[in-house]
Amino acid sequence: MLMPPFTLHNPTTVEEACSLAGVLLGKGEEFDWVAGGTDLLPNYKWHLNPKPHVISLARIEGVDTLSLHEIGCMARLADLTVENGIHPLIVEAASKVASSLVRRNATLGGNLCLDTRCFWYNQGELWRRSIDWCHKADCGTGADCRVIPNQNTLCVATYQGDIAPTLMVLGAEVHLIGPNGLRTLPLAEFYQLDGMTKNILKKGEFLLKVTLSKEGAARMGSYQKLRVRDSWDFPEAGVAASWIPGDVNSLQIATTALESIPRCHPEEVAAVLEEGWDGMVSVKALAAAVRKSVQPVNNTSLPPRYRKSMVRVLTKRAVQKMLE
Amino acid sequence: MSEGYRQQPGGPGQTTRKDGKRVAGKQAFPPPGSGGSKPQMAPRDLDFIPESVGGKEPQPAGSHIHDRVRTGTSVGREMPLVDSNAKVTGQAWYGDDVRLPNEAIGKILRSPHHYAKIKSIDTSRVEALPGVLAVSTGADAPQRFGVLPVTKDEHAMAVEKVRHVGDLVACVAAIDEATALEALNLFDIEWELLEPVFDPKKGLEDADEPIHWRGKYHLARTNVQKRVFQEFGDRSLVEKPHAESYGKWSMAGVHHGFTEPHAVVAHWDPNGRLQLYTPQQVPHYTHRALSTVLDVPMHQINVIRTFVGGGFGGKSDPFPHEMCAAILSRKSGRPVRITFDREEVYWINRGRHPSHIEVKMTADKDARISGFDIDALIDGGGFASFGHVTSYYNGVLATAPYELGSFHYTGARVWTNKPASGAMRGHGAVNTRCAVEVGLDEMAETMQVDPIDLRLANLLPPHSRTISGFRITSNGMREALEKVRKGSNWDEKFRQMPLGKGIGIGCGFFISGSGLPIHWDPNRFPHATVHMQVDMDGGVTVHTGAADIGQGSTTAVAQVVSEVLALPIEMIHVRSHESDTSPVDLGSYSSRVTFMNANAAIRAALEIREQLLNAAWEILGYHPNNLIMNDRRIYYKHDPAIGVSYLKALHKAQEDKGALIASGAYRSPPMGGVHKGAAAGLAPAYSFSAYVAEVDVDVETGMIKCTNVWAAHDCGKALNPLAVKGQIIGSCHMGLGQVLSEKMVYGRTGHLQNANLLDYKIPSVHEMPHVEPIIVESCDPEGPFGAKEAGEGPLLPILPAVVNAVYDAIGIRLRTLPLTPDVVFKGIEKALKASEFDDPTDLPSPTLTFSSLQPKLVARAQEHKIRDLARQRTEDTSPYVNGVLFGFDPTVPLEDQVEGWRTATEPDPEQLAELGLAGRAWLKKEQRQMEGEN
Repeated sequence: MLMPPFTLHNPTTVEEACSLAGVLLGKGEEFDWVAGGTDLLPNYKWHLNPKPHVISLARIEGVDTLSLHEIGCMARLADLTVENGIHPLIVEAASKVASSLVRRNATLGGNLCLDTRCFWYNQGELWRRSIDWCHKADCGTGADCRVIPNQNTLCVATYQGDIAPTLMVLGAEVHLIGPNGLRTLPLAEFYQLDGMTKNILKKGEFLLKVTLSKEGAARMGSYQKLRVRDSWDFPEAGVAASWIPGDVNSLQIATTALESIPRCHPEEVAAVLEEGWDGMVSVKALAAAVRKSVQPVNNTSLPPRYRKSMVRVLTKRAVQKMLE
Repeated sequence: MSEGYRQQPGGPGQTTRKDGKRVAGKQAFPPPGSGGSKPQMAPRDLDFIPESVGGKEPQPAGSHIHDRVRTGTSVGREMPLVDSNAKVTGQAWYGDDVRLPNEAIGKILRSPHHYAKIKSIDTSRVEALPGVLAVSTGADAPQRFGVLPVTKDEHAMAVEKVRHVGDLVACVAAIDEATALEALNLFDIEWELLEPVFDPKKGLEDADEPIHWRGKYHLARTNVQKRVFQEFGDRSLVEKPHAESYGKWSMAGVHHGFTEPHAVVAHWDPNGRLQLYTPQQVPHYTHRALSTVLDVPMHQINVIRTFVGGGFGGKSDPFPHEMCAAILSRKSGRPVRITFDREEVYWINRGRHPSHIEVKMTADKDARISGFDIDALIDGGGFASFGHVTSYYNGVLATAPYELGSFHYTGARVWTNKPASGAMRGHGAVNTRCAVEVGLDEMAETMQVDPIDLRLANLLPPHSRTISGFRITSNGMREALEKVRKGSNWDEKFRQMPLGKGIGIGCGFFISGSGLPIHWDPNRFPHATVHMQVDMDGGVTVHTGAADIGQGSTTAVAQVVSEVLALPIEMIHVRSHESDTSPVDLGSYSSRVTFMNANAAIRAALEIREQLLNAAWEILGYHPNNLIMNDRRIYYKHDPAIGVSYLKALHKAQEDKGALIASGAYRSPPMGGVHKGAAAGLAPAYSFSAYVAEVDVDVETGMIKCTNVWAAHDCGKALNPLAVKGQIIGSCHMGLGQVLSEKMVYGRTGHLQNANLLDYKIPSVHEMPHVEPIIVESCDPEGPFGAKEAGEGPLLPILPAVVNAVYDAIGIRLRTLPLTPDVVFKGIEKALKASEFDDPTDLPSPTLTFSSLQPKLVARAQEHKIRDLARQRTEDTSPYVNGVLFGFDPTVPLEDQVEGWRTATEPDPEQLAELGLAGRAWLKKEQRQMEGEN
């Protein structure tokens, strides 16, 4: 397992990182950001879309802030698993990510920007050659998608991060920075459908921090994760729910690991609320509606039909636990 | 005497005067000491000396021939493995730790195609790349090899065609890994793609281009590598059964998942001899195969076994990459190292066969098992490997521990265009064992009896013979069942727990050593040989070829030698790494090592012991019969003060000849039947095990959590209880993987989708239940100090125990392995559809009301218990063969008592129409029988 050679840059301030990115962009050089490296480096070892330059965020000071209202991109997931002022829902989700060893390196920024996964894609180079490559890493061949053949427009690789849905239902905002300055938007608007583009980050931009409003911080919720093993495994499906305790109209649901992006389900929630909240009946109706709205494909460990069925159970359990 | 007896001190001897000056005319020859920091002899520990020879170690299963040489030193004591310090401090040298000066890095070019002919390979661009030192293709090594002499079907690299994605095509050595990887992209190959076969059922059909061609022995034009038919017993008993069970199983292939990937270093030394470093379970077969492929005599090859980072059967074939490294090293004149990526580990595979198994079983009105009908179609992948044996094991290893009225087995192993299956812990026995044990559970359910009592009332006794002619010696099956029943509180839980909570039973039966050494006649040449040498310092060097793959074979050898010679274990040095210095050993497979190798070591140690005792006799004047060996001292048994230190006796024995040398060997006694395939599954002893597993099933998600396991294993005698418990717990973990989450997934295009340890789901510590290991000691008459295997057998029962527990929890019989949550969920959905309920949490949990058969079974089991105890302690030595339970006379051949008693290895023509899936291989003819037809 030999990584392809690349030049590693170690800026120490956000400004330096941005200007470095600007310089590389100006020269037409491609690069990746790296934070903890637990996602990017395994992919590099498998020669999955490696770039000649890698800019590390690890030495930048002040981007690992940790508080109820602000978490920096370099905050390690291990630090998010203890309740030192962090929102309990984030703690719940962070504790379920990968293994304790991975969490010591992995970061919040990396988890939110996680590359999408697919068993036709997350494979060694020779393996992928044996299937004539795929749409996501086509190695210049213009190869077709192997999950859903004969459609050459969309990548259906699955986003399998755990923390994004919890931040979404808490109404968190992300702050993106790059050579062209800073912008802030709700996390729910950060992701963009397609397994390749994944999110709206422009070239040269990186996710600087996540902030949580007072209203968001007052929410309570639950995150349910489906996985085969209680360690290591990415979610096969994940559902987060939150509300402002006592106010059922504030209910929010988000799902992950079912499609190329995590997403909120405001329409499904609204439809059920419209009928008037009726305890378990509403919970079940909501669970059925969320299940209906997701479209998993066959590219993770468990079959899509099962994952879809489980969305109902996970939603039910998330809401039930939240209401407790 | 509180300080005890002193060992011989070191330092100056009698040749110096009191004032320290040398006696005139005498040289000082200071003797070495043997005391070190423990100068006193330790007292004799009667707790570890058997009752039969005056000690306090209980022997409920009777005495053993080795009792008289027990010294209470090591056997039966919990001790850490002798190589554990090296391992926990990171100093053990595994395959990839070998670094030779000036080494080059080898990489293998692998096939991107499932099945293709190689029309041409042009290596000119590779050779032109700066930094490339050597290139090789199949043309360099046309000789075929394979682990079994009957099925040599592998090449170092593809000679004519590639047989699966990842099959070896060519290899290259370069100055570094980056160059070698770059070189792999420069081969110009012209392929002719062939139609691949992935489904083993398709493998039974004729193909345009069978994956291998066996000439006149080839079965029509199919991809069947081996077919087996075996039928024993009285088939009329199967008609009109009182109860029956039929199940169709689909079991995914699983991989050993060892930690260390394959790695090899080859180096041709200045004398032109090949030195090959490899983590091998079976270095001797690699030695033989290298000799064939390289066309070099065996004595010009030294195979050096590095530490092995887990094998479990997956490092027991001679491997093509070992040949590649040797070829590249010969070509480049430099040492060449090849280390696999995990993906390559999965491509070389040799894991458990994906299997389609059908089991039908019947019982008569007395709940006697009148028939087992097993049909196993196993998916061999691209090569034969151990498959010839696996094809038999899938059937014959199900002929015990139960007494059967009849037995019928059809098996077929087919080649497919996938990585080759092979031997894996519990070789060939695991899948059918699971199917059989679940079938028994189902029959018990139909007859409304307790499944444990059903088993207890149908066990073969100790010192008996199975329906297929295997000789059973010691047998701790009954005790194992009783202990897990009690330990798990079975009678309070079975069929009495709420929905989602279940408890299940499973048994196991496995060989302890294979009766037939594959490469030679067992009557002429031993299975295992051990050499021993004791030099002046008193340390004992043991040379053995037995490969310690983490199971602790080195420790077992050191322990038995330490026991016989009454020396602390640190005085025993086992040398087992090099074929140059070790006698031939067949290797670590078939759970043979402790049984055979420790027996050989005991024999060698006995020779040394005799020489020491004779020397002590000369010094003390007491006959060896009256001497006791204890901690570095030999003394008169009635007066410990009259004695001699070990070193003094040793030096006496060494007079005139120097170091003491001894050799010991083990060969199995002649046994078994004469029918075709009678040698498969034949072993000098068998292990037995019974597990009870408890599970929680989430009925909404189908997730299974195994919470508790009571695991009883009959290992004859636990030489090292710590190691036995480790093997039981480890086996449990591995078996749990197969039953709950591990599978090699082949996608719609035939590609292996999960060749990595993230997607190949080995249970983590979170999935591990609490395992209560229970050691049963049945004292095998031929085992070393009574020991039998403990490394493979303990894996078998966990699978059926879990599957049966899942039934107890949710009332659904599942016959697809692994029981991933989606499989369980599908079963629950089906059950819901068939029921009146909408919500799975409303499903009924199975219950049991005993029928009138239950007390009869309990009474029969009680009778058999008395019978078994008498036979175990050889108080009853009357003959017993399978069939006595059905009223037959064990002293008269069964063929003479029953009309139609079968011992058949080929189907009768009228049977052809009703054969199972794999049995259909018998509808085809071999090429030699087809002459004139095509």
